[in-house]
Amino acid sequence: MRAFTSFMLLLSSMCLLTGCSPFASDNTVEEIAPVTFLSVEAGGEKGKLKVSTLVPPVMKEDKQFFSTNVTLLEQGRRSFNLKYYREIKLGQLRMLFIDEKVARNGIVSLIDTILTDPEVSPRLYLVVFKGDFEAFIKNRMQQQKDLDYYLYRMFKHYEKGKQGEITVTNIHEFMEKVYSPYSDPYIPVFRVDKDNFRYEGTGFFGNGKLKGGTDKNQDQFFQLLNNYHFLKNMIITPLDVSLGEVRSRVTTHVNLNDHTVSFNIHYRGRIDEYRGTKDLDRQVSIYELVDELEGYMEEGTVSLLKKLQELKVDPLEIGGQTMAPASKPMSEEDWIKFWESAKIKVDCHFELEPLSI
Amino acid sequence: MFWKKKSKRVRHENKEGNQLFQKSKDLSIAAVKGLISNMDDGELIEHRINKERNITLIFIRTLIDVERLNESIIQPLKNCSEDMIHTCIASVKAGALSSLDEAQKLMMLGHVLLDDGKGRWWAVPLVNTLGRSIEQSEAETILYGPKDSFTEQIDQNITLLRRRLPVTELKTEKFSAGYLTKAKVVLMYVEGIANPDIVDIARKKISKINIDMVIEQSNLAAFMEDHIHSVFPQFQQTDRPDQCAYSLGLGKIVILVANTPFALVAPITFFHLFQSPEDYIHKWMVASFLRCLRYVSYLASTTLIPLYVALTTHHYQVIPLQILFVLLESRSKLPFSPFWEALFMLLILEIIKEASLRMPSKTSTTLGTIGGIVIGQAAVEAGFVSKVLIVLVGIAAIASFLVPNYLLSKTNTLIQFAFLILSSLLGFPGIVFGMIYVLAHLNGLSSLKQPYFAPVAPLYWRDWMDFFIRAPIPWMKKRPAHVHPLFKWRYNRGDDH
Repeated sequence: MRAFTSFMLLLSSMCLLTGCSPFASDNTVEEIAPVTFLSVEAGGEKGKLKVSTLVPPVMKEDKQFFSTNVTLLEQGRRSFNLKYYREIKLGQLRMLFIDEKVARNGIVSLIDTILTDPEVSPRLYLVVFKGDFEAFIKNRMQQQKDLDYYLYRMFKHYEKGKQGEITVTNIHEFMEKVYSPYSDPYIPVFRVDKDNFRYEGTGFFGNGKLKGGTDKNQDQFFQLLNNYHFLKNMIITPLDVSLGEVRSRVTTHVNLNDHTVSFNIHYRGRIDEYRGTKDLDRQVSIYELVDELEGYMEEGTVSLLKKLQELKVDPLEIGGQTMAPASKPMSEEDWIKFWESAKIKVDCHFELEPLSI
Repeated sequence: MFWKKKSKRVRHENKEGNQLFQKSKDLSIAAVKGLISNMDDGELIEHRINKERNITLIFIRTLIDVERLNESIIQPLKNCSEDMIHTCIASVKAGALSSLDEAQKLMMLGHVLLDDGKGRWWAVPLVNTLGRSIEQSEAETILYGPKDSFTEQIDQNITLLRRRLPVTELKTEKFSAGYLTKAKVVLMYVEGIANPDIVDIARKKISKINIDMVIEQSNLAAFMEDHIHSVFPQFQQTDRPDQCAYSLGLGKIVILVANTPFALVAPITFFHLFQSPEDYIHKWMVASFLRCLRYVSYLASTTLIPLYVALTTHHYQVIPLQILFVLLESRSKLPFSPFWEALFMLLILEIIKEASLRMPSKTSTTLGTIGGIVIGQAAVEAGFVSKVLIVLVGIAAIASFLVPNYLLSKTNTLIQFAFLILSSLLGFPGIVFGMIYVLAHLNGLSSLKQPYFAPVAPLYWRDWMDFFIRAPIPWMKKRPAHVHPLFKWRYNRGDDH
């Protein structure tokens, strides 16, 4: 009896101290529909959102595409519940597809809503899409039963592998960058139509709003500059060369007096494929190719950095370089002002790995 | 007024018990005859020697070695001319008797009572040593290592231990337990190594046992355990002499009980129950891996099914998406909730396990097949349980068999049921609370007043050499700290104690 009393005291005190609810919610798996994605588009009326999802998420039943116009995101879930026989749960939400138009108006409040749900995992992939996502889902859900799952596996694969093929951002990383000084978040952008769901590049955010993005070519430079410092394969069509296993080592320096930001980038990679006119068996030709590669890299990098300046965003977190131990940190606004007008100096070095032939 | 009035109860039981077996009569043929009245195997033989003396032999036929009766007593006495006839039967040690009580006790232990015709009584031991031979241990089998095990003959068991520890410091103290069974209990320890306080505790606990029957070692353990309401065994029960000898050498005590092939070893810790004799046969890295595997298996056997219930009832969000697919598919058409499904399966499993223990070995194959089909196929096809649960129940059941101590492996069933209820009500926090309770309970236990949760609490770093990791034997230079040995070094260091 004494042991039982002690146990009950221990249990209740632990519940109270940790803030645990004594009521566990009933989430019997066969009675719920844990959706894996939500897509958010601009609704018909001003200020309205069109929230869509696919149910059931994983069962071998006919899939249904649910869509509703709402003011608040939570309204969407409630609306789905009223017309579906299983309760929609967001605990397995893995992807949030956001329409470009919604993203341009700001997505922080949207993400805040999702983050306040304790069931939602911080490993929720954020995606911006351009085009008709609804048409894509409706068209493909008949052909691919587990379409939503395959999309999730794609993001998971690229995040886990860090292969530098595409940008992958989860909700936690996004919000961390939103609230960190000298740091702007970025999200992958996909172009979507009835038949295709195609990666387009990286979208850059400033103050929680989509400002712009890279094209496919610039995205390669972004992957090397910031994201994973790695590209499994880099296609350089002007030079008729494909490079493999490209890695970069970036050194950044901000000179406030000269109003200059300089980048020293060391690339290392190997030639996977070459269709040019040079005879790569000759040492001189190799040196020529390396010079051309360095020129191409410099040009591409400068082009990307200029774009970031134009967009007034700093996803590379260069502003952190301005901090010094004994000086007052520059405000974020001051930094962006400095950054948009700073002179860019890029110095690229390319080291070609020996050919294995 | 609502309470039932307690009547003054006189302690009849003990008095009856004592009075029943207390004989105050004088030692005489008539009195001894009275003892064996209505006993078919009670024998009284009168024998004349030297044409002038009548001797009387009284014994219980089934308790003595009848074949030796003639050659050891009757033949030597035929030509006995001595006044003190016990000198004629010097081949067996005869002791003089003075009271009827003593005569009764010895007769029931396999002695022949001998009246020399002059009012003097002798007791001649001719104990029937009928029993099975030394066989291989069935409870704790090992592949490489000694194969012998204890038998029901306590003297034979002591011999097995003495052969392994041929030192005069190995002491044996004899006790008797149970006023009906009068079971011989032998307390063994190595003097100079075993802590006298622990020996004294064991001695006092055995002496205090007041019950009619001590049939086997568990009866004794029930009286000696510090916490009788705990599910965890506080004595190690083993039938392996090598285990007992090793424990004695470490400073523990061993208690042997007559007519049972199992010995009690104490003090032990919770972690001691995960150790197997094979740990010291394997290479240390292999042994350490196997030991860790046992801990993980025990944890899995207690928590795997409750985790399934917690996940499928409350925490769907932490299930990896791929597994959730399988779970949803598997559970979509089941009539029961995860809790009832798991409870149903665990009960079926326990029934099969219990039945397989009780059934003869020839029929256990049939039972295994029926159990396998019922659990593995029919239950799923009938839509009672999900395939995922079948897999988990199978893993949990197999994992429970990895624990070398049978008594400990049986505790996981109860813990599993408790965790199951908690997980169904509270989810993960329920399992965590359950675990905290079990850990707190283990921390409060003791074995012969020594901490049961050592070397974790209290922390004995020295004992960690033989804990999760079984360190190389040459490194284990000291005896375990939790048994507080008098001589801590395991190698000879002269006088250093």
